Amino acid sequence: MTDIRTTIDDWRNRGAHQPWFRRYEWLAIGLVGWIAAAVLFLPPFGKPTPLGAAGVILWYLTGFVLAGVMLTDREKPILLKRATSLSVIVLFFWLFYRYSGTRWDRVQEQFFNFSRMDGVWELYAQGLLVTLQLSIVAAVLSIIFGLTFGILRTLGNPVIDLFLGLHVDIFRALPLIVSMVLIFYALPFLGIRLPAFWAAVLALVLMNSAYQTEIFRAGIESIPRGQIDAARALGLGPGATMRFVILPQAFKIVIPPLTNNLVSLVKDTAVAYVITVPELLTTAQQAVTWKRTPTPLVLSMFVYLATLIPLIHLTRRLERRLDAWNVR
Amino acid sequence: MSAVSDTKAEPMIEARGIHKYFGGSHVLRGIDATIARGEVAALMGSSGSGKSTFLRCLNRIEEPSQGDVLIEGTVITDLRTDVNRVRADIGMVFQEYNLFPHMTVLENVALGLIYVRRRPRSEAQETAADALKRVGLADHVTKHPQQLSGGQQQRVAIARSLAMRPKAILFDEPTSALDPEMVNEVLEVMRTLAEEGMTMVVVSHEIGFLRKAADQLIMLDAGQVVERGPTARVLDEPEHERTREFLRAIR
Ligand SMILES: Nc1ncnc2c1ncn2[C@@H]1O[C@H](COP(=O)(O)OP(=O)(O)O)[C@@H](O)[C@H]1O
Ligand SMILES: [Mg+2]
Repeated sequence: MTDIRTTIDDWRNRGAHQPWFRRYEWLAIGLVGWIAAAVLFLPPFGKPTPLGAAGVILWYLTGFVLAGVMLTDREKPILLKRATSLSVIVLFFWLFYRYSGTRWDRVQEQFFNFSRMDGVWELYAQGLLVTLQLSIVAAVLSIIFGLTFGILRTLGNPVIDLFLGLHVDIFRALPLIVSMVLIFYALPFLGIRLPAFWAAVLALVLMNSAYQTEIFRAGIESIPRGQIDAARALGLGPGATMRFVILPQAFKIVIPPLTNNLVSLVKDTAVAYVITVPELLTTAQQAVTWKRTPTPLVLSMFVYLATLIPLIHLTRRLERRLDAWNVR
Repeated sequence: MSAVSDTKAEPMIEARGIHKYFGGSHVLRGIDATIARGEVAALMGSSGSGKSTFLRCLNRIEEPSQGDVLIEGTVITDLRTDVNRVRADIGMVFQEYNLFPHMTVLENVALGLIYVRRRPRSEAQETAADALKRVGLADHVTKHPQQLSGGQQQRVAIARSLAMRPKAILFDEPTSALDPEMVNEVLEVMRTLAEEGMTMVVVSHEIGFLRKAADQLIMLDAGQVVERGPTARVLDEPEHERTREFLRAIR
């Protein structure tokens, strides 16, 4: 009992120098007023009138601001902050659920209809496999070329620079879908016929190696001159200096932009849909026509999310681990 | 201070008429210098006078535009020379330490032994640990450079050069980036090296240290040698007006 008392006292004391609107009593009053406003003014559930919708939005934003006022205070317990942010988010979806006027029973039947999915899962697995193959082949080749070109650009050879600069300019400017369509549908007129999969790989590699050339070049050039001097003064040649001194340091700098690029690459494999590569989106689309329900498309969205969000977090972890060099 | 008596032997380092241009600017205007085996030569001069550039020409981190550098009588400034071999034999210590931040202290010191001297890893690490012991850092081998103080980092840099068993070590303002209380620990290590007979070329304005450790003092101005001679003589009875001015300014 005394524990709770002292805890409460402690909180009050900690908040003593806070402005009035960040003190617990005023927050409590605000919260009560806000809930009272909901009871009094919010329209009944279902599709509201425009005025009613405006009221709901205004009410939600008021709560949002209230929560914001509370969260920006550094001294409030982290648990309270977490709970508040979570409530605000949950509230958003709940309001949407109640006031959008959507027939939710129909939504489930349409978008999450798993009863007619027999045969679709196998199709799906094939699609996912192709997407993964496309991603990995294109990513590996892009990194190999991007790294090589990036290193070559730091040598300052004007001829190499001209060619690589052109490559970078062109394929950063050209929309992926355009180069992919050109490679698949226009090159055959010149007698160059590529299977759809490899046409997609080529287009992806051309574009992403262009981006990565610049990423690696910037990473390498950001290594201080003194590092190179020190390596050369030890007697390391240019290759060894690159390998043991520059690249390990550049690698760390390059991880955030490189991750961004690789995530885009995986997402961009969906563009291969337009040249009939049987990747995830293509098979999902086929399943939609076959089963006459959009469920497979909705599912494909979750597959993309489930693949890419962990990838992003994984690289963030790696980044933090490499940060260990910078401990003081 | 080591004796410079071995007259019949070739000088350790000899520079003949070194010129250096950066684009249009003529930074070194014909510098000669002779540094005997075991001698400590000091370079002085105001900022921008070309001290660093000259020092960097001695191991061809910078290519001289004209003139020759000889190490033990062998010209190293021609196309046939394997610069990496030359550099492996001449240590260099920089103002900003330039340690490799992604390696531990031991790895920093062992790197050259492993990939330049081609020593087996375990042997290289032993040698590296010995070098670190010589500069008083035996307890810090597993740390990363960022975890050390400036003075400790500079001593690691000295150990990195020492581990290669160099014929000479070049120091470019090794204490200029240090907080005052760390200057002495670095100078102390350098003085011990000098006493042990290491050939050194030092860019430094630490008069007290130079008086004790340097045999020869070379005063540069605008890319030219304006005065040179035994340290005490140049410091106490400078002949050239430019030297007198400079010494007044740094005191
Ligand atoms: N890499 C470079 N490119 C162009 N100019 C340089 C370069 N390095 C040095 N300089 C110029 O050469 C002159 C001498 O520089 P430096 O040797 O560093 O002088 P010090 O070490 O005596 O201060 C300065 O004017 C400097 O601006
Ligand atoms: Mg300098």
